[in-house]
Amino acid sequence: MNRQPLIIKNQRWLDFLFHRPNIHLASFQTISNYPRIWIISILILAVTSLSPLVMATFINNRLIHKSVDAELVLQTDRVTSNAKRSMRFFLEERLNALRFIVNELPYYTLIDNEHLAKILGNLKLGFGGFTDLSIIDADGSQIAYAGPFNLEGKNYKTQSWFTQGIEQDSFISEVFTGYRDIPHIIISVRSETAYGRHFLLRATLDTQRLMDMLSSYKTNVHTDIFLLNHSGILQTPSTIFGKVFTTAPITIPAFSDTTQVITPEINKENAYVIGYSYIDTEAVTTPFILMVHKKKSDVMGTWLNLGKTFNWIIGICCLVMMVIITLVSTFMVNQLYLADQAKAETMLKMEQSQQLACIGQLSAGIAHEINNPLALINETAGYLKDLYQYTGEHRSDKEITELLDDILEAVSRCGTITSQLLGFVRQFDVQISSVDVEKMINGILSFHKKETEYKGIHVTTIIAPNVPAIETDRGKLQQILLNLINNAFQAIEANGCLDILVSHLPPKKISIEIKDTGCGIPEENLKRIHEPFFSTKKEKMGTGLGLSITYGLVKKLQGTIRVESSEGIGTIFTVTLPVKMQKEEKA
Amino acid sequence: MKHIDILIIDDETKFADMLGRRLSLRGVTSHACYDGQSGLDWIKSNPGTATLILLDLQLPDIYGTQVLARIKSIDPAVPVFIITGHGTREDETACLAMGASEFIHKPVNIDQLTTLLNHARGEGK
Repeated sequence: MNRQPLIIKNQRWLDFLFHRPNIHLASFQTISNYPRIWIISILILAVTSLSPLVMATFINNRLIHKSVDAELVLQTDRVTSNAKRSMRFFLEERLNALRFIVNELPYYTLIDNEHLAKILGNLKLGFGGFTDLSIIDADGSQIAYAGPFNLEGKNYKTQSWFTQGIEQDSFISEVFTGYRDIPHIIISVRSETAYGRHFLLRATLDTQRLMDMLSSYKTNVHTDIFLLNHSGILQTPSTIFGKVFTTAPITIPAFSDTTQVITPEINKENAYVIGYSYIDTEAVTTPFILMVHKKKSDVMGTWLNLGKTFNWIIGICCLVMMVIITLVSTFMVNQLYLADQAKAETMLKMEQSQQLACIGQLSAGIAHEINNPLALINETAGYLKDLYQYTGEHRSDKEITELLDDILEAVSRCGTITSQLLGFVRQFDVQISSVDVEKMINGILSFHKKETEYKGIHVTTIIAPNVPAIETDRGKLQQILLNLINNAFQAIEANGCLDILVSHLPPKKISIEIKDTGCGIPEENLKRIHEPFFSTKKEKMGTGLGLSITYGLVKKLQGTIRVESSEGIGTIFTVTLPVKMQKEEKA
Repeated sequence: MKHIDILIIDDETKFADMLGRRLSLRGVTSHACYDGQSGLDWIKSNPGTATLILLDLQLPDIYGTQVLARIKSIDPAVPVFIITGHGTREDETACLAMGASEFIHKPVNIDQLTTLLNHARGEGK
């Protein structure tokens, strides 16, 4: 049998989302839109609990980045300043040494190759970094030379360093390869012979020494220090931009003789900081720009990683909190819904029972008022019939006797209705006594003996062995069972079955199941069968009071009644009653 | 005073008359009173005359239960049948406790009534 219990009570977590709307209950519920309450609750909890966390994280990130930036600028500034000072000192020291030589020694000693070689030896010893020395006259001819290369007699008139060097007191060249094909720097000082002719004392500086000095300022692998000339060509190798003489893809910063730090606004991934300074000596400006290039992500990696880790932790925390918030909200809203539902059910039941009581009282009033005129009709019609029967007049007129019988039968039907209506009022008093359910059922079944035999109905009564005698109101229980069994007999067709099953529901309840194989009750009627005057037995004896009285009586006996029915298959009424009924306090 | 079978005390005069006539057709003698006081007066003036008393509850002057109490104080032995269209469970319990023999709802089945009368007669003898 396809069972469709009338009362469905599965308490699930998401009841409030997936419940079937019940119009009757809805009018008693305090809150109508639970999904909305749920979402609002989640949102409010999420915003209030997560926003401080998110804001703190945001501020923390900003602080980390700011302090990282500031630290980076400071570091770069310091490294650039220090490197620039050393670089300047390196060049000035060597330029001043040359100046000292030309001022101290007469021209003729300088043009002596042996003497010049001796001076070179002393310079190497005293300062280091010198490769060779030479004296060049105003025409560009090399007069004397000391050094490893065989450059005697060379003429430098066409070389740009010479034309620049001869016009200034001191001169520092860019790095270039020249005749010897090795990168070097030329520094020169200009002086005059006794005859007033200009000549140059030129020295070649070893670039390796310069590079060693610069790389000593590389505090870590993420720092790149190199020299550029004013047109952006690398003068020393760079770890980022490559070998000497390649053009670095950087915009040449504006002139400044003090240390400057710039932070180009590039995307955050490859952010970097550049410190630079144009290098000038006291005597002469140099073609060099000292550049310090620091990658932010690398240098401040630890800090940034810490920030990232922190962000991850916060993110996971937020996620966990969201899950907890959702679960808690769901649970709370569901509890709220269930409580509201229970309240609405109670109120609906109260309203139903009040309606029932109201209808009962009203019906009883009407029944009372009708009973007296009914009694009069009964007696009058009865008297008329008596007259025919006892006096013998018109005895042959069968039609009148039949009509009078009709009247009397109608009166008797009305009497049944009024006595049932009075039953409504009677429901409210209870007299408790011990009742043997089995005896009572057998008694009721015995009324239907003839019908059972006539229709060929199979009646099975199963009483579980452990069913105790119950303490309840005998009259009411009898009426309940009578109504239900009568209904079953009316529903069962020929050769149908009626099963009555009584079982003990430990510890304190018994259930009586009355199952018929009758016509069944359509689903739309199932909800209405307990309403007074609802009847489908149109032409016949039905008053529509039987089941509504039964429902009221069961409630009065502190029990429950449940109906399951499938149209065309049958109906099961299950009455559950307490073994020992409690006396009610009268209000 | 001539002995009668049933005293009917009911304010529904037509009902009481009609019941009387039907009973007389069945050979049962009866007398009808239409309010409580006249019923009591009749009993006082004709003690031991009626075999059975049919008493309505909704009487215009005195409520049926009080009439019952007074009847029982005058003649405790006479069987009193309450016959009413209004009976509540309280009334029924009260009346039975006060010594009423039956509590019958209107409309009445005349055959049932005569059967009950015969029982009462049998007990009386």
